[in-house]
Amino acid sequence: MADRERATWRRHFRLLGRADLRADVDDELAHHLDLHARDLAQRGYSAAAARDEAARRFGDASAIRAECLEIDDRVRRRTSRKETLMTLMHDLRLTARALRRSRGFTSVAVACLAIGVAVTATIFGAANSLLVRPLPYRDADRLVAIYGALPARDARGINISFWDYQSWRQENRTFADIGIWSWSTITVSSDKDAERVQSALVSANLFSVLGVAPILGRHFTPAEERAGADRVILLSYGLWQRRYGGERDIIGKTIRVNALPYTVIGVMPPDFKFPEIGEAWRPLPVESPNDADRGNRFYAGAIGRLKDGVTLQSAKADLERIMRNLEATYPNDYRGWSADPITLRDDVVGVMRRLIFVFLGAVGMVLLIICANVANLMLARGAERRREIGIRVALGAGRGRVVRHVLLESVIIAAAGGMLGTLLVPWGLRLFLALYPGEVPFYFRFGLDGTVIAFILLISLLSGFLLGLVPALRAANVDVGSALKEGSRGQAGGRQGSRLRDGLVVAELALSVMLLVGATLLIRSYRVLTDTHLGFDEKGLLAVRVSLPSAEFPEFDRRRVYWESAYQRLSTLPGVEVVGSAEGIPFSGWNVQSQMSIDGRPAVKGHELDVHYQNVSPDYFRAIGAPIVRGRGLTTADRDSGVYVGVANEELVRREFAGQDPIGKRIRWGDDPNSTWPWITIVGVVRDFRHWRLPAPMQPAIYLSQLARPSTSQTIVLRTKLANPRTLEPAVRAALRDLNNDAPAYQVQTFEQVVSISLWRQRMQGQVLGVFAVMAMLLAAIGIYGVISYAVAQRTREMGVRMALGAKRSQVAMLVLRQGTRLAFIGVGIGITGALLLRGTVAQLLYGIAPTDPLTFVAVPLSLAVVAILASVLPAQRATRVDPVVAMKAD
Amino acid sequence: MPRPPIDLLQGTLDLLILKTLTWGPGHGYAVARWIEQLTGSTLQIGEGSLYPALHRLEERGWVKSEWELSEHNRRAKFYTLTAKGRQQLRTEQAAWTQFVAAVGKVLDATSLPA
Repeated sequence: MADRERATWRRHFRLLGRADLRADVDDELAHHLDLHARDLAQRGYSAAAARDEAARRFGDASAIRAECLEIDDRVRRRTSRKETLMTLMHDLRLTARALRRSRGFTSVAVACLAIGVAVTATIFGAANSLLVRPLPYRDADRLVAIYGALPARDARGINISFWDYQSWRQENRTFADIGIWSWSTITVSSDKDAERVQSALVSANLFSVLGVAPILGRHFTPAEERAGADRVILLSYGLWQRRYGGERDIIGKTIRVNALPYTVIGVMPPDFKFPEIGEAWRPLPVESPNDADRGNRFYAGAIGRLKDGVTLQSAKADLERIMRNLEATYPNDYRGWSADPITLRDDVVGVMRRLIFVFLGAVGMVLLIICANVANLMLARGAERRREIGIRVALGAGRGRVVRHVLLESVIIAAAGGMLGTLLVPWGLRLFLALYPGEVPFYFRFGLDGTVIAFILLISLLSGFLLGLVPALRAANVDVGSALKEGSRGQAGGRQGSRLRDGLVVAELALSVMLLVGATLLIRSYRVLTDTHLGFDEKGLLAVRVSLPSAEFPEFDRRRVYWESAYQRLSTLPGVEVVGSAEGIPFSGWNVQSQMSIDGRPAVKGHELDVHYQNVSPDYFRAIGAPIVRGRGLTTADRDSGVYVGVANEELVRREFAGQDPIGKRIRWGDDPNSTWPWITIVGVVRDFRHWRLPAPMQPAIYLSQLARPSTSQTIVLRTKLANPRTLEPAVRAALRDLNNDAPAYQVQTFEQVVSISLWRQRMQGQVLGVFAVMAMLLAAIGIYGVISYAVAQRTREMGVRMALGAKRSQVAMLVLRQGTRLAFIGVGIGITGALLLRGTVAQLLYGIAPTDPLTFVAVPLSLAVVAILASVLPAQRATRVDPVVAMKAD
Repeated sequence: MPRPPIDLLQGTLDLLILKTLTWGPGHGYAVARWIEQLTGSTLQIGEGSLYPALHRLEERGWVKSEWELSEHNRRAKFYTLTAKGRQQLRTEQAAWTQFVAAVGKVLDATSLPA
């Protein structure tokens, strides 16, 4: 019985199906009934009666049959599960042993993947901290930052006035509450020393809006917001620990702030700072209602908490309604103004969002290239093992088992790479953070968390399958006969295999071209920025900021005395050549501008003139190296002349006085013809120099004399011949401490530092992408080298034959080179197309250079092609060294 | 005339099967006949219920089965007691003896204990 034999055979191999079980149970039960019937017949029953009696005594046969089947089926399932697990364990051991044997292959593959996983997870980790992890506030996704905006002039994120805030807070229907804040750096001093502390003025409700409570003491009360209330201050945990030794009895004590006594009412929790790095807070005083102040927009911004279920869109519409109502009542102060609410997340992340996505895309490409490289290695290895696999298939190993074996190999490699890569991630994140020039805001918490670990697991597994899929499928299709035959000829792999490997290399090259083009564009854009003519000489300049406590220096006269003696004292320091000062130096982020009007020229709607203005000392231009090109500069005498004078920059002259002599022309704040603002008489023109930041265009500016109406805060600029201007720092600090203990020097930086910090993002994006691109290029070169070498090794015999038949060495070399060149050009061609398709993603990060910059698009692919061809030169040389006799005798 | 059968508890049937198999391997029909002979037909059961019991004992690893040719030259499934089954039989036999002794004491008692 063929069927029965087969069942026996299959049973032996524990491959029983349900049908086999059923047949067995039927056999067993039938056997019982037959024997019983026969026994009964021997005892005198007729044949029919015997069968009936046996069946009667047996009971409900179908129920019994079903019960037996159920038990057997359960046993079968349990056994097969166990067996699957056992074969898997067996295969794992087998695979691990195979990997251990080829240690070179394994370590290269694992190292490549570890690097790929590490860079990808690092960038993902950064993205996770910036874009995903909730900000450390209660229900942070409901928090909204609100600024002013002038939609018609495409200006957003502008300061607000106290009365903007009051109207929003009282008349909105979409916010649970709104608070206001503004920057206000303070000097905290004792008899011994003084320290400048980043700080903010906040409304009493602001921290409740954020949902952060003090760990010691209390919040401000609304009574403390009123003008003339007791002077109170909240400290950050860090400041409390650092300056006051973490003493719990600090609450109620008095400390000296801006030369005035303040009572400490509370300490905020550890790690909390506001905004970004602020460490102390005072109540923002409520202004008395005065219509004239409505348009005075000098507070940094508001923060609101949306009511449940309210969207940002409806909040925006709600605020817009309030603004238009205000415009109806106060047309002068609100015409053209809107409120600009954005989520707190978008506010703090800003332009980094786009950058991080570009980075993610880039590391994704690097990971793909790495996978392609390792897959190539595996393909080559698979080709070498074709014979082994052929033998195993011939000996009866199922194709499924063979596929599983190869897949297991790649998954083990990916898992090992993933684990190793994970160890590198914290290090990578530190490196990434080190690129940021300042203190990283506390609300971004970088580090490994569940999301990052899950991501690493995902990409490791994915790349494992990606790596193993092609080799596994090829292993499954091994034709036993040809594998055994080919193998003996040393020609494993065949045409199909080489085409796959070529395809992977072409993909690598294409991805590298895209990355390199992107990186080059960003780096070139950064070069354009740094090559911008700044208009001042940033070398040999030290900047030192000083703020006088206004309590001690209420009037211009006392301030003037201080500043004049400060200039005088500092200019006598050894090494100092010129001392100047300005309210805000270039690239420091300080940029005040106002709408202004020219005497005798009525304002024209749509052609408003926005002018940057600030107080500078007479020697400021000389100190930074910006020459006066017309008229005169500011002098110490200007303070007494009774005429309010100013120096314009060339841009202002170009815009407003083209073809005229600007000297003697007058300009003032606002465009109201009945304004009481004083006229400023232009006495000279200074050569344009960049002030705000690159790549912002040059803006019109007017510089006023610091000695005429001295301000309390100035950045002193010292020009020196010393190689490192910072060596002046101790002497400068000491001199200023002598002058006034409550006005310490802070933000001591060289000008070069200031400029470089303002360009950090542009520099960083070029650097980071550049690193990825170079990695990609090296990997692609290694990839092409590997493929060509492998091809040469496979064709040794053919080369030998060719040379034996009279081919020259150079002809053989060309044969190999031609293969490399062909791959290089296909890959580069595809890469150029890809880069052109992706140009939109980097366009927004570029300045002064087109996203299709021809130079980049020619030079980069060309150099990559050269690298790729060079990578195949080595194998080509090896090919020429083939000894025909040895090659043909081999195998 | 056969007397009306007493319902066999599941555990009792298992115990009887294990016991009969101590004399050597046997197929289901043989086990049924042995039990019938030994009990003098007093314990008449639906003979079919032996089979689920046998399969369950095999699932637990107390017996193992093998298809072999029987005395009538027919393919039959033979059950053999395993070491684990022998151990189980010892445990259950002890429990059974105890149980019988306890029940016997109660049935033999002539008066309620003081």
